This record gives sequence, structure tokens and C-alpha cells, in this order.
Amino acid sequence: MTSILGLSAAGAFAYPLFRFLLPIESGIKAKKLIIAKSDIPVNTTKDLMIGPSPGIIISTKDKGFLAFSKVCTHLGCLVKFDKDRQLFICPCHAGVFDLEGNVVSGPPPQPLQKFAVKVEGDNIVIG
Amino acid sequence: MIQRIRGWLEIRIGLDELIRSQLTEYRVPKNINLFYTLGIVAFVAFLVQSLTGVLLLFYYIPDDKDAFQSVQLIMNHVPYGWLFRLMHVVGSNLMVAVVFLHMISVFFLGSYKKPRELTWVVGALMLLTTMGFCLSGYLLPWSQLSFWATTVVTNIPTAFPFFGEVVCKILRGSEQVSGATLNRFFALHVALLPALLIALFALHVFLVRRIGISAPPFGREEDEDWKEFRHEDHPDGLPFYPHFVSKEAFMVVLYFIIMFAIIALAPALFLPPDTRIPADPFTTPEHIRPEWYFLAPYEMLKLIPNRFMGIAAQLILVTVFILWPFIDSSEKANILKKPRLLATFLVTLVIWIGLTIWGAY
Repeated sequence: MTSILGLSAAGAFAYPLFRFLLPIESGIKAKKLIIAKSDIPVNTTKDLMIGPSPGIIISTKDKGFLAFSKVCTHLGCLVKFDKDRQLFICPCHAGVFDLEGNVVSGPPPQPLQKFAVKVEGDNIVIG
Repeated sequence: MIQRIRGWLEIRIGLDELIRSQLTEYRVPKNINLFYTLGIVAFVAFLVQSLTGVLLLFYYIPDDKDAFQSVQLIMNHVPYGWLFRLMHVVGSNLMVAVVFLHMISVFFLGSYKKPRELTWVVGALMLLTTMGFCLSGYLLPWSQLSFWATTVVTNIPTAFPFFGEVVCKILRGSEQVSGATLNRFFALHVALLPALLIALFALHVFLVRRIGISAPPFGREEDEDWKEFRHEDHPDGLPFYPHFVSKEAFMVVLYFIIMFAIIALAPALFLPPDTRIPADPFTTPEHIRPEWYFLAPYEMLKLIPNRFMGIAAQLILVTVFILWPFIDSSEKANILKKPRLLATFLVTLVIWIGLTIWGAY
């Protein structure tokens, strides 16, 4: 009986403790992001926040505008874009991604998160 | 005056009998060596960390906007702040080294054998708690290195399906490493982990004293089988005080000599350049590397191409390490009489050192 009461009491506190430890919702969601085309000339990049995480938009000659999360899918470091090799490289564990965000080499398990990009007039809409 | 205090204590706690039974007439094995003193050195290291940690708390501000500046204030403006911070930084690395050496010597001397399996398990948990101190303390200066090292470590649970993301969020207190993470790690570092380590330490000392100190296995007959509990006495041994205490005092002094030699001659040994740059959540520094004791697992994560496999392999290794006395259940304590175990031990050590050196360059 004592054990049942003890376990019930512990169980009654487990859920409140779990909810207490979970982060409070920040309210920042990945909303649509609008920036002017002129801000990103061809063959340049721009770092920006896409929702709650850092992202990058790349203006290419052939593929137009591409937007990715910079968070490496291995262990969360931020990738850097190597303009000469047209690759994303993670400085932590040497993960390498191509211009589509696909894993070229290294330990990342998944491609970089890619965001939809639409050109509307003089603006670019991300997300 | 001292006599009066002694007399007062004698009536209340039986001081003379306590000193006799626990120090002067408590016998340790005759062939006990300096490796047996590493436990007390680790305890002294913990005391140094506690005292310097409390002093740092007088000036440190656990807030993402002020943490880095408060550490700079301690280093550059508070009189002797640099001394206590360096004692804390160097001391943390030395403490890990001492605990590592203690575990290695216990392994080599076969002191984890029956009936001391629990003593080993508690010691292994103390090593993991010490690593927890290092991880949680690493974030507190809020530098580039601390920020990104914490990002990597808190991402590790995400390799596991279902619960990984939740564990990551609970550790961070937010989606990314942030001020909320700093608050959580600060609470872990100054409240939860000290209480846990003290509790484990008390249990460890209780087990050592209850079972008795093990004798080195070399040059003696193999142990008899333990069928029932008994305290291992050493009636022909040497008194704990002054014989063993003098050995301990020597090693504690050596510990402080090494600590102050590093502080005087190589103060930046454990403070690479990225520890002097404030955390920037938008730029991961080039060539980020963890502290020396995490270099081997860090290199393993690089070498094993599958993230889940890399992290699972490390968890398996840690589990094997904790439960080793139950895996190696043979009665023989002398590792020199067990060539396969000796070879495994040496190969593991060489691989560990090799990965550490590889990770450093």
C-alpha cells in the first residue's frame, strides 16, 4: 500500500516536472521572409534568420536564388559557404554539402534543410 | 587550550578511540603504493574547485548578456581574480586527469574485483559526474568555444529517434543554445552536480572503509573466494597514520606544484583563443576542438560516418566501462597473469591516446 501511494505521488509529480523542464514556446515560427532582390546580387550570399535558426540565401547564375538553414544536420554547428568550390562546409566535423544541400561527405545524416524561394516582382519570398 | 578541546571532544565523541581505530591502528597493506593516494588527491582537487568556484560566484553573472564581461572583469580588474579563475580552469583539467589516473590504476591493480564491484561502479559514476561538471562549466564563460562546444554536445541526443529531440530541448531550455541554456547549466554546475558528487563520494568512502583497502595483487597468492561479507584486514600492514597519510600529503603537494607550475609557466594552456571571444550564435569558429579529455570521442564522431552508430558506440563503451567488474568476473586480480586482458587494456589505452592526439591536430 505504501509503495502504491509512493509511486502514485511520484507519478503525479513526473508530468509537471517534465513540462517544467521543456522550453517555453518562443512564439518565433518560420514565417515567410521577404527581401529585395537587389540586396543579393548574383554570386553573392546573405546570412539571415529564417524562423528561429540561422539561414543563408545564395544568388546563383544558373539556379537562381537558393535558401538553406545553416544548421549542420550532424551536431548543429553552422556551415560556411565556400564560394570557390560551391560547397557548404561544417567546421566542426568536416561535413560537406553541395549546392542543393545534399551530403557530399562526412558524418551528417541528412541534407541541409532547404527553404522554398519564390521571386515576386522585385522581391524574394523565402518559406 | 588544545588539551581542553580534546578532553571536551573525548567525552562527547570518544576522540582517542576514533583516532586509534581510524588512523593510528588502521592498517593498510605493506606494499601499498602512490597510486592508492589518487583518490584523496581527487578529493582535494574537488575541494579546490569548490572553494575557487564559490569565489568566482562573487563576481560572475549567469546571464547571456553579462556572463562574458563578468569573466573578463574577474580576469582583468578584480584583484587576484585571474589567480582564482586560473586555479579553477587548470584545477578542472587536473581533476579530470587525476580521476582518469585513479580509474586506470584501479583497473590495472584489479581493485574492482569481487567484492569491490560497487566501489568501481560508484567511482565510474563519479568520473561521469566530473565530466558533467566540465561540460556544464564550459558554457559559463559564454565564449565562442563554450557556446559551440555546448551546441555540439546538446545535439548528441538528437541522434536517437523518439526521445532525442525532447532531451535536447530539455538540456537547452530553448530551440538553440541561449540564455536559457546558460541558466540551466549554471544550476547544474553550482547546485545539482556538487550535491550528486558529494553523495557519490560519501558512498564511495563508505564502501572503501566498509570492505577495506585492497592490497596490490603483485607478488602474492591469488585471493580466496568471498563467500560472505567480511572486512579485509591487513594485520601485518602499516598504520594509516602516519605511513599512508604522508604518501597522500606528498601527492597533494605534487598536485599543487603541477597546478601552480601551469598557472605560472603556461597560463593559456587550457584557454585557447576562442575562449577569449564572446559567443556569437551566428558564426561557428574554424577548427573548433573540445577539451583534451573529449578529443577521443570527438575524433570518433568524425571517423564513424553514421551519426547514430557513432554516438551509440560511445554509449556502449561507457556502459561497458561502468559495468566492467560484472563483465570481467574472473577471480584473478593480477592483470599480469591475464595476457588477453592486459593486451586489451594496452590496446584500448593506445587507441584512446592515438585518437586524442589525432583530434588535437
